[in-house]
Amino acid sequence: MKVTLFEQAPYRYLPDNFEKEHDSVCNTPYSLTTLDGVYSSIRDFMDELMTGARAGFDGLAVTEHGQSSYDMMPNPDLAASALAYMTEAEGLNVAIFPMGRSLGKAREPVRVAEEYALIDVLSGGRLVAGFPIGLHYDASINNGIPPIEIRPRFDENLELLLRAWQEQEPFVHNGRFIQYPEVNIWPRPLQNPPPVWITGIGNPRTMQMCLERNFGFNYLSWFGAKLTGKRIFDRFWDLADQVGVPRNPHRLGFLQTIAVAETDERAEQEYAKHLEYGFRKGLGSIPPQLLGLPGGIDIRGVQALVKDPGDFGLYYQMRSASFKDLVDAGVVICGSPATVREQTRDFCQQYGIGTLHAMLGFGSLPRDLAMKNIQLFAEEVAPYLRDLWADSEYPHHWWPQRLGGDPTPVTPGATATEGSPAGANGHAQSTRTAVAAR
Amino acid sequence: MTTLQQGPEITEETIPVWNGKLNIRVKVAGAGAPLLYLHPAAGLAWDPFLSHLAESYTVYAPEFPGTSVGDPYAIHAIDHLSDVVLLYEEIVRTLGLRKPVVVGQSFGGMLAAELASAFTELASRVVLLDPIGLWRDDHPVANWIATPPDKLPGLLFHDPGSPAAKAMLQMPEDADLAAAATAGLVWSFGSTGKFAWPVPDRGLRSRLYRLNAPVLLVWGRDDKLISSAYVEDWQHELSDSQAVVINDCGHIPQVEKLSETVAAVDRFLGNSPSAGA
Repeated sequence: MKVTLFEQAPYRYLPDNFEKEHDSVCNTPYSLTTLDGVYSSIRDFMDELMTGARAGFDGLAVTEHGQSSYDMMPNPDLAASALAYMTEAEGLNVAIFPMGRSLGKAREPVRVAEEYALIDVLSGGRLVAGFPIGLHYDASINNGIPPIEIRPRFDENLELLLRAWQEQEPFVHNGRFIQYPEVNIWPRPLQNPPPVWITGIGNPRTMQMCLERNFGFNYLSWFGAKLTGKRIFDRFWDLADQVGVPRNPHRLGFLQTIAVAETDERAEQEYAKHLEYGFRKGLGSIPPQLLGLPGGIDIRGVQALVKDPGDFGLYYQMRSASFKDLVDAGVVICGSPATVREQTRDFCQQYGIGTLHAMLGFGSLPRDLAMKNIQLFAEEVAPYLRDLWADSEYPHHWWPQRLGGDPTPVTPGATATEGSPAGANGHAQSTRTAVAAR
Repeated sequence: MTTLQQGPEITEETIPVWNGKLNIRVKVAGAGAPLLYLHPAAGLAWDPFLSHLAESYTVYAPEFPGTSVGDPYAIHAIDHLSDVVLLYEEIVRTLGLRKPVVVGQSFGGMLAAELASAFTELASRVVLLDPIGLWRDDHPVANWIATPPDKLPGLLFHDPGSPAAKAMLQMPEDADLAAAATAGLVWSFGSTGKFAWPVPDRGLRSRLYRLNAPVLLVWGRDDKLISSAYVEDWQHELSDSQAVVINDCGHIPQVEKLSETVAAVDRFLGNSPSAGA
């Protein structure tokens, strides 16, 4: 089992009454910040990630969110490139995992290909390339993409990016959304190509694409894994059976917010208010309509979600969620090393999860507590998780070779868009990628 | 008068256009000279206003690609507003409509103006009900697509509690039907939003001078989606226009103030004034 340290870069000093006074963390007035607050939020975030690298985590994972106070990370590649160089210079064999640049948002897909390629070179081949389809408010409000074009754009951009990484000769790209007279990026990734992961929240079409095209699939459990985990992971593995690929746990990543202290009592005492800050002033303060803009979710998906909003778990109550609510729903796991070990291992074992993204910095958590959380987790929890799939017959096809992975090529398969005219039967038109790989 | 309550017989035609890639559904009712009705962003809903028009005209109401029940992915067949305009000209031609009156509401108003600006001989007269399509920084158009559902009635109506407003917003009681209706409405916003997001300004202002048919603008004085201040912009660009601004009325005058709307439209079209009294 691989264990990454996942962090976001929230502004850590919002006022206590923020979620009562403000509608959204997606249009937070910048006047609420101080220069010191912004600097230390970002500086501590980077220091915490480096602490994780030195403490032996298998990967460092970051995300992209524009114009938001809960993750001041408009381009995760900026942080990832700094981490790539720092870890390479220190000789730390850790995966650099931007989760990453949204391709439904990107208006400059070749630049995304270039950034990732450079990170792979800077890190000596340790990039794991994440591509979320795109949060609606981020793609559509922050970047002006019509919601109904997010998925078609993702499809075009992903094909273009994979080709740009691998094609030996310069080529012309004549797409629906973007045209380039010449694509011939320098540098190209050291890996051929880096492993590709897609992040999703449960849309079966996204899962199907990952399974057919040999991408890893990340599920971020912020909605509460005890509420959503079974339905999401059962759906994923049922689809794997339908697609006809093995139930290889390494293809499935899972993010869990975790807080660990010497004892259960002390963990609650130290972390509860920062966890409440993290979710009330984070996900809980993203208005629902911004996560589901009309056209961004397939019509059948909307119909299913209206009848059964279960995939959203605790989300609708999150703005006022107590520590207990967060624990009960599985939004967080908080306790002693033994408590965290047991709950995390059981959950990953039960649902066939091969990569755990441990979110150990959150909300207003101050630097010293974040460092403690990271160290304790690295020393007292992670070692008890790593052997989870040691007896598995399956190799890890979605991890860099330099870090012990056995990557295999991207394959043709379903696109992210239902009813897309992009290719026959909604399948990606270009099989060139698969042919060219390795 | 009676048709306002009872309504005419409505038939539906499906016409293949766009080189066979699209099958556009058109609701047809009434008798007389042709009238093309272009629906708003939420999709086509047959209402008493259309029933009234069908007393004097043969009303043709095509459904925008993606908004027809059972054919949601038609929206993926068309990518550019210029293609939408060509598509609607083809619909008019395929239906055999000669010099129709063109009526458009909100998003449909923008389409009507684009169509009549591009094909200057197409329309005999044009009626625009609170059309979108222009932009002023001092009167930004509300983003109806990103508006949460519970705020939409207040955005669309001067009095969201009025019976007409409530009837329009009424959802089916059956849970399955309500879910399908919600999904259809949301997808219609998404499909039409392809040509209105992120800012509903695709450069129409520079093309409006071409629109040479007589135009009637009907606007709710209290329109919170797009201010009635835009009336002067339209009139400034159009060569032959008149405007009626209706008091105590929001974005959908033909629903919120039906009598005033039909009176203004009848007067402009030269129909019997008694029909809408």
